[in-house]
Amino acid sequence: MNKAYQDVENAGGVLAVIQLDGVSFGYDPEHPILHNISVSIPQGQWVSIVGPNGCGKSTLVKLMNALLPKSGGEITICGHQLGEETIGAIRQCIGMVFQNPDNQFIGATVEEDILFGLEGLCLPYAEMEERLRTYTLKLGIEDLLAKHPGELSGGQKQRVAIASILAMKPGIVIFDEASSMLDEASRDELLRILQGMRSDGQYTILMITHDADEILASDRVLALHGGGLAADTTPQALFRNAELLEKCHLLEPYPWRLARELQSRGIRVDVPASEKELIDTLWPYN
Amino acid sequence: MAIQLEQVSFTYAEKSLWKQTALHDITLGIPKGLLTGIAGATGSGKSTLLQLFNGILKPTQGTVKVLDVTIRAGEKSPKLLPLRRRVGLVFQFPEQQMFEDTVEKDLIFGPLNFGMSPEEAKERARKAMLEMGLDLALLSRNPFRLSGGQMRKAAIASVLAMDPEIVVLDEPTATLDPVSRAELIAQLERLCREQGRTVIIVTHRMDELLPVADRWILLKDGKIAFQGSGGELAADPDILTRCGLGVPHSLRYWHAIAGQFGLAGERPRLTAESLAELIASLPGTVRSGNTAGMGDAHE
Repeated sequence: MNKAYQDVENAGGVLAVIQLDGVSFGYDPEHPILHNISVSIPQGQWVSIVGPNGCGKSTLVKLMNALLPKSGGEITICGHQLGEETIGAIRQCIGMVFQNPDNQFIGATVEEDILFGLEGLCLPYAEMEERLRTYTLKLGIEDLLAKHPGELSGGQKQRVAIASILAMKPGIVIFDEASSMLDEASRDELLRILQGMRSDGQYTILMITHDADEILASDRVLALHGGGLAADTTPQALFRNAELLEKCHLLEPYPWRLARELQSRGIRVDVPASEKELIDTLWPYN
Repeated sequence: MAIQLEQVSFTYAEKSLWKQTALHDITLGIPKGLLTGIAGATGSGKSTLLQLFNGILKPTQGTVKVLDVTIRAGEKSPKLLPLRRRVGLVFQFPEQQMFEDTVEKDLIFGPLNFGMSPEEAKERARKAMLEMGLDLALLSRNPFRLSGGQMRKAAIASVLAMDPEIVVLDEPTATLDPVSRAELIAQLERLCREQGRTVIIVTHRMDELLPVADRWILLKDGKIAFQGSGGELAADPDILTRCGLGVPHSLRYWHAIAGQFGLAGERPRLTAESLAELIASLPGTVRSGNTAGMGDAHE
C-alpha cells in the first residue's frame, strides 16, 4: 500500500476507485507473472503504467475487470470487491481500449459498433443518438459512420474504438497502448481528449504507455518490472531517474535528452520548454 | 531504381457503389540500396501504397515497375511469384502471422513454399536470425514464448529468410517499448548498410527514423506531398504540418539552430547527441545558461 495515497483517502477527500491488495497472477504458483501488487488509485487520477514489453502491464489491467482471474489478493473497484457476483457491476465501471483495435470490433459499420455498447446499457434512443453524435465529433470520425471497420486505416480504427468506449461513459477508462498506431497529430488530439477527461473530473484514467509525452501529461506513474511494482512515482521523477528509465526500457523526451547531452559537455542548461528558449539561453547576445 | 511508380492511381472496389480512391496520380522513385521512410497521417494511403510494391494490389491507372517487373493498369500482369520472393512485405503486427510451434518451423515455411530444399531453407533461417540480431538458440523455442521485441524480430526474420532484395515494413516498431524500438531500427539500418538491401519503412513516428533514413516520401490524402532527402525535409519542416503530421522535437530543434547559425546546407544533426556536440562547438555558447542544473523541468 502506498502511504501517500492512503493518507489522501484517510483525509476523507478522495475515494479510492481502484484498490489492489497483494494481488498476484500466474499459471504456475512457482513462477508468478505478477506478484503481490498493492496499489490504491483515487478517483479522478490519471495514472501511467510503464515497463518493458512482457512485464505484465496488460495482465495487471485485465485482472481489474476479471478478463483474467487473479490467483491471489483482493481487488476492489468503485467499492465492489471483485468476486463472481460483482463482475458485472465492475465491468460497467471500466471501459477498456485495447492495443490492437481489430480485437474489439463487433459491428458491421462504425455506427453499429459504437451503438452496440450503448444498446448493452439499455439507454433510450435519444440518449444513444446524442452520445453517438457527441463522441464521433470529439474523435473526428463523423465521416466514417457508414463505413465497415475493414475499410478504415489503423489510426481511424483506433479512434473508433476509443469513441465506442467513451460513449459508454465509464468511470474508469483503461487505455492499453491505445495511441501506438496513431500519427503524431492524432496522438496530440488523444492527449487533448484525455486532458479534457481529467479536467472533467469524472474519469479515472489508467494508461499503459511507452510514450514520453503521454507519461509527462499524467499525474502518477506505476512502473512494473519483473512481476512487481518497481516504482510508484511522478513523471518528472521517473525521467530524472536514469536507472529506473533503463529498467522500464523507456527513453526520456527529446528536450530532456538534449539537456542531458549538453550538460555532459559542460553546458549547464535546464530542460528547455521550446527551441526558442534554448537559443535564448545559449546565445543571449545574438 | 528499385521501385518506380508512374502516374499510379488505386481505387478500392472500383466497380461497385462503394468505390474509394486511395491513391491519386502517384509518381515516385525509390532508389536501390537506400533506406526510405514513408510517412503520412492515418488514412493517407500508406498501407495501400505498400501493397502495390509486390503486386498484392494492381494499379487502377498507371505503371508500377518493381526491379525488372512491370505491372501496367488494365493489362494482364506478368508472373508475380518470383517478385514476391524478391520483395519481402512485413505487415503491421507481423507476429500475428506466426503459427508454428518453433521459430525455426516458422522461418522455413516461406522458403519451402518457394521451392527450396529443407537444408537450404534451414540455412536461410539461420542467416535471417543473425541478420535480425537474434540468438540462434531461439530457433528451437516456441515463438509465442518470446518477448514482444524478439517476436517482432523473429517475424521479420521469417520474411528475410526468403532473401528478398527489397524489404518493405509497415509500422515495424508499433507497440514495442522505446528501447526495443531503437534496437529494431538499428537492425533495419544494418540490413540496408551492410547487406545492401533496399529497405522501405512506413512509419507515423518520424522521430526515430529521421536520423537513419536517406530519403522520405510523404503522403497526404492519397497524393505525394513530398519526396526527397532527409536534408531537404529538414530545411522545410512545415511540410510535415501541411501533411497533418507533427514536427518531431529533433527536427524542430535542428531547424531552429541551423537557422540561427546559417547551417541549412549542412547534414542535419537529428539526434540529441550529435546536436549537443554541434552546439558545444558553436561560437559564443553560454556555458552556464543557469546554474540550477539537471532536472529542473519546465514541463
